[in-house]
Amino acid sequence: MQLEENVQAAFNGLREHKFRSFLTMLGIIFGVASVIAMLSIGEGAKREAIKKYQQLGVNNIIIRDMDLSDKELESVRAKFSPGLSLKDAQAIKDIVPQIVDLAPQAEKKADVKYQDKSIKATLIGVTPSYSEILNYTTESGSFVNKDHQNRQLKVCVIGTDIASKFFTVDDPIGQSIKVDDQWLEVIGVLNSKSLFTETVGELASRDLNSDIYIPLSTFHKRFEKEKLLSSELKQITIKLEGSENISQISNIVENLINRHHFNNKDFSIVIPIELLKQEEKERRIYNILLGSIAAISLLVGGIGIMNIMLATVMERTREIGVRRAIGAKKDDILSQFITESLVLSITGGVIGVILGLTLSITISLSTAITTSVTLYSVLIAFLFSVLVGVTFGYLPARKAARLSPIESIRYE
Amino acid sequence: MLIEIKDLRKKYIMGEMEVEALRGVNLNISTNEFVSIMGPSGSGKSTLMNILGCLDTPSSGQYLFDSIDISSRTDDELSEIRNQKIGFIFQTFNLLPKLDALQNVELPLIYSGVEKHLRKDLAKKALKRLGLENRMNHKPNELSGGQRQRVAIARALVTNPGIILADEPTGNLDTKTGFEIMEIFKELHQEGNTIILITHEPEIAEQADRGIIIRDGLITKDALNTTIISPNKTILTQV
Ligand SMILES: Nc1ncnc2c1ncn2[C@@H]1O[C@H](COP(=O)(O)OP(=O)(O)O)[C@@H](O)[C@H]1O
Ligand SMILES: [Mg+2]
Repeated sequence: MQLEENVQAAFNGLREHKFRSFLTMLGIIFGVASVIAMLSIGEGAKREAIKKYQQLGVNNIIIRDMDLSDKELESVRAKFSPGLSLKDAQAIKDIVPQIVDLAPQAEKKADVKYQDKSIKATLIGVTPSYSEILNYTTESGSFVNKDHQNRQLKVCVIGTDIASKFFTVDDPIGQSIKVDDQWLEVIGVLNSKSLFTETVGELASRDLNSDIYIPLSTFHKRFEKEKLLSSELKQITIKLEGSENISQISNIVENLINRHHFNNKDFSIVIPIELLKQEEKERRIYNILLGSIAAISLLVGGIGIMNIMLATVMERTREIGVRRAIGAKKDDILSQFITESLVLSITGGVIGVILGLTLSITISLSTAITTSVTLYSVLIAFLFSVLVGVTFGYLPARKAARLSPIESIRYE
Repeated sequence: MLIEIKDLRKKYIMGEMEVEALRGVNLNISTNEFVSIMGPSGSGKSTLMNILGCLDTPSSGQYLFDSIDISSRTDDELSEIRNQKIGFIFQTFNLLPKLDALQNVELPLIYSGVEKHLRKDLAKKALKRLGLENRMNHKPNELSGGQRQRVAIARALVTNPGIILADEPTGNLDTKTGFEIMEIFKELHQEGNTIILITHEPEIAEQADRGIIIRDGLITKDALNTTIISPNKTILTQV
């Protein structure tokens, strides 16, 4: 019934004591702002991680041939391991359950030239299944197809960075580039892929936009191995129907290849979704830590409000007496002071939300950290400030309500 | 009978000390009486008035207000009685300094839940009747003492309580303004209100119909005034 008057009066009080109110709200402001900023950093990291692992495929198992020195290679070959090969791929396809498809790939470093420009790039031999399994799409032209693979054609699909370096004016499609000593016709340009900024398992960080993709058959026929004893394949990516049994299936795969390689342990297995889960677990701990820090600053903010409200009640004992004398009930006084502390904390909360958003945007613009503010985090922060207002306003308000009318009106 | 008091006592305990401010007061006041209460400082006038106004509770004795036994009422019920049946006026006005005259007068109506428009209308009417139509949006510190007390009277009247309790209402005013305030009380009395007023000044007390004198927490005199002096005459004799 008198909410409007209470809110009005609270805002008047706030305006009257701008500086004092601001100081009082500071704790809430920083508390809310830090909750929002921290959650936005956490959320940003989460989205980055999901993007990264989605690129690797959440239903995928990746088998990588280990990077070995010449000496180590000699040693494993002497112990009968043929290294990762198409035979492994075929065996996996035949034996492993719940498999949708797989993509074998070979890799080597190569010198790439077009006209007078030259760069170093990673040459990757792939089968047509590669684009589907690893979510590769082309921005122009098309990917390696069955025909290219069957006829061992000298065609290639290039990353966007290579395209923009070599072909500033020309349309890259149909042009020929020289890779090592082979001329390849460009048939497609890939869409930009976000680069790996960190090493994921055995997958070294690298810029995926500087790769060159050719049919696997062409790779084996036309290009020399990086090392004399290099394995036939560098990687096999397996796509499963789902991720429920992914670790059991990965065990099957591991056993199978171990057997083929005579237990030489010259390969490693990366399961993107497990890494994602692992990372999420780590991030949860970090979030709890940050959350506690933010909660403490909100708590301090709340105590600040309680402190000032207690002082206000003292200061306004006489006013309370007058109100009681002309008919205010205890609850009227209680709600008046709770409203006041709510107005303080909500105003602080709103300023905090604005500051938090600003902070989060500033962080993402000025550093490499990605931030993402969710509605949910804003709501959480805001609800917290309301909660703080009620909780810490209650005690002073109750104190005000319990003052005896006659004592308060006589108070000097 | 509007007010019935039997053997009313009030003790204040301050540490080791015990002060008995009222020591067995018996008093009946009926509707539309105009009563003055006089007595030396510290005799218990305010203590009695605060109990009459349901602001304070007696240590013992019985107080029936409008046939309601006050001692058996809850805090909320007492608030309602103060709000709707009693208009209290203080020596120091007790206006809220941050609210303007109109807002001060609106306050009791806020607590009785009167809707905004009606509330403003009633408050304006009350202020107008006290000659303050041009001062509605003035804060207390922009008003003279007499004007402040008029605002306080408007606030006491706005819920149409029927009884006005005034504790030294002219104590902070000059003589002339004091008499102007008294004129208002007389008018209110003529309209049917019950008025109980504490004062130090015999010239003020004489204007009531009935005079009570309190000493040391006891009523020592309670008599009808025979000589009714008009305030103007009193001013003339004083000047
Ligand atoms: N809240 C209180 N605590 C202690 N003593 C009080 C209190 N209020 C009044 N008294 C004492 O009670 C006596 C009567 O006070 P009061 O009713 O205010 O007198 P009056 O209004 O006639 O001057 C005085 O002795 C005063 O000191
Ligand atoms: Mg007194």
